[in-house]
Amino acid sequence: MIRAEALTKRYREKTAVDGIDFTVSPGQVTGFLGPNGAGKSTTMRMIVGLDRPTAGTVTVNGRRYAEHRAPLREVGVLLDAKAAHRGRTAYKHLTAVAATHGIGSRRVREVIGMAGLDDVAGKRVGGFSLGMGQRLGIATALIGDPATVILDEPVNGLDPEGVLWVRTLMRRLAAEGRTVLLSSHLMSEMAQTADRLIVLGRGRIVADGPLGDVISAATRSVVRVRTRDAARLAPALAAPGVSVVTLLDGALEVTGRTAEQVADTAAATGTVLYEVVAVTGTLEEAYLTLTADAVEYRSRHDAGEPAAPDHRDHSKETNR
Amino acid sequence: MSAPVQLRSTFVEGPSRPRFRHLLTSEAVKLSSLRSSVALVLGMVLFALAVSMLYAVTAEQGGIPDGPSTRFSLDAVTLGTVVFGQIIAGVLGVLVITSEYSSGTIQPTLAAVPRRELVLAAKALVLFPVLVGAALVALVGSWAATYPIYEALGIQTGLTAPGFAAALAGGAVYVGLCGVFGLGVGTVLRSAAGGSVVVICTTLLAPVLTSVLPGTDAVRAVRLVLLSHAGDSMVRLGDPELGFADVSQQYLSPGAGWIVASVWAIAALVVGAVALRRRDA
Repeated sequence: MIRAEALTKRYREKTAVDGIDFTVSPGQVTGFLGPNGAGKSTTMRMIVGLDRPTAGTVTVNGRRYAEHRAPLREVGVLLDAKAAHRGRTAYKHLTAVAATHGIGSRRVREVIGMAGLDDVAGKRVGGFSLGMGQRLGIATALIGDPATVILDEPVNGLDPEGVLWVRTLMRRLAAEGRTVLLSSHLMSEMAQTADRLIVLGRGRIVADGPLGDVISAATRSVVRVRTRDAARLAPALAAPGVSVVTLLDGALEVTGRTAEQVADTAAATGTVLYEVVAVTGTLEEAYLTLTADAVEYRSRHDAGEPAAPDHRDHSKETNR
Repeated sequence: MSAPVQLRSTFVEGPSRPRFRHLLTSEAVKLSSLRSSVALVLGMVLFALAVSMLYAVTAEQGGIPDGPSTRFSLDAVTLGTVVFGQIIAGVLGVLVITSEYSSGTIQPTLAAVPRRELVLAAKALVLFPVLVGAALVALVGSWAATYPIYEALGIQTGLTAPGFAAALAGGAVYVGLCGVFGLGVGTVLRSAAGGSVVVICTTLLAPVLTSVLPGTDAVRAVRLVLLSHAGDSMVRLGDPELGFADVSQQYLSPGAGWIVASVWAIAALVVGAVALRRRDA
C-alpha cells in the first residue's frame, strides 16, 4: 500500500509534482502513466526517499520509507535500467545490495535464476544489453522479497519474451497480494498488465481508477453500421442522447446505443445490415485524450494538429 | 475494495533488522569487486616500492650521511609511499563515491540504506583499513627491500630504531586519511574529475602555492596545517626542543601531524555527510 497526500516537488523554476493524492493498493497492478516530464519518476523517487518532497507526504505500508527498519524487505524499486557499475559483475552487484540486509547468496542466486541471468551473472555489467540491464534491475528490486514493488519502465529494451516475462511476473506478484506500481509508455502492454491506472499530466493527476473506467471515461464507444438504407435507419435510431454520423464511405457511426439495440432497430424497420461493429476506445486513445493538454515535449510536426485524435476524425481519415 | 491477504511466495533468510556490519560487508564487496579499485591499491604498493628502490640504488651519488641515520632512512623509505600514496589514496576515495553516482548504483545503495550518513561511514571504515594496510605493506616492504643496499653502505636502520616504526605507522595512517579526505571531497562534488583535481591540489599544489606567496605569519600558519605538511610531519622524528608545533620553524610534531591530518579527513567526511543527507540523490 502506497499513499501520497498533497505530494509536491518543486525545483527552482518548475513544479514537477503538484500536490497529488493517490493510493496504490495491494493485490493489484497499478499502472502509472503520463508523458515525459509529467512527474512519474520524481514521484517514484520520492516514494523511496531518494528525492525529498517539497511538501506533502508519501508512505509505504503506513510509514515513510526511511522509517522502515529493513526497507528492501518492504519495497523493491527499479528506477534506471543498468543502475549498476559497469565494471562489476551482476552477481557481485546483487551480492552487495543483498549484503546491506544480511541476505545471503542463496537468495542472490534465486533472483538471478528468476530473472534469467544465470548465463551472464559472472559477466561485468558493462557488456550487458539494455534488456539484460532491465532484468538485473528487476532482480535487484526483488532481492528482499518486498511486499511493494515499484518499477519505472521495466519493459523498455526487453525482447518479446522479456516483455511477456515482466507481464507474467507483475501479475503473479499482484496475485500474491503485493502492491505493484508500474510505469510504461507502451500502452498495449499496460492495457494487458494493469488493473488500475493513475495518469499524470504536468505534475497533476488527470485520471485515477480501474483500467476500464479510465478508458471508457476518456473515449467514446460507438457502433459502426453499414447498410444500403442509411436514409431509413438513421431517422429510426434518432432519440435523445443518440447521435448518428454518416461517415464518408457511407457507414453510420452511432453513439448512445449498443450494437444489439442498433440491430434490433434495424430489424424493426426492415433494414438489411452488412456490418455491425461495436468500436470501443483503446487505452492509447484514452491516454492521448487525457494528456493532450499536458504534453511537455511535443514533436514539432504535431504542433499544428490536435494531439489527441478525435475518434470521429480518426475514422474518417482511415476510411477515406 | 477488498484487502487481499498478504501471501508471500518466497522466504528470504536474513535478519529482520539490518545491522551496520551488514553495511560494512556490502561496502567491502563493492570495493573488492571492482578491478579499478584493486588496481589502484596494488599500483600504489608497487609504485612506492619502485620509488624506494630507485632512491636506494641512486643514494650514493645523491649524498648519504656518514653513519646510520634514522632521519635519512625515513626519508628514503617513506618518500614513494607518502608522495604517490596520498594522491592514489585520495583519488580512490573520490572514486568510491563518485562511481556510484556515475554508474547509477547510488540509487539501489541509498534505497537500501535511507540513513545515508551510515553509507558514508561504512565506506570510510572499509576504505581506511585497506589503505592503511596497503601503505604499511609498501612502507615495510620498502624498508626490507632496500635494507641490504643501505647495509652495504653502512647506513642501515633497523625497525626497532627509536621512532622509526612509529613514523612508518604514521605514514600508513596518513595514506588512509588521504583516502577518507578524498571520499568526503567526492561526496560533496559528486564528480570524479572535480574530486581528483581537489585531491591533487590539496596534496601537491597547495604546498607549492604557499611557498611562493610572501612569507607572512598568516601564510606560514596556513602552510603549517596543510594536509601534506601534516603528512610529512607524521613520517619524521619529532624534535623535543620545538614542542608540539612551532609556526616560526614550520614545525609540526608527529603527534600534531596525526591530529591535523585527522581533522582534514574528518572535516571532509562530515561536510560530505551533510551534503549527502540534504541533497536529492
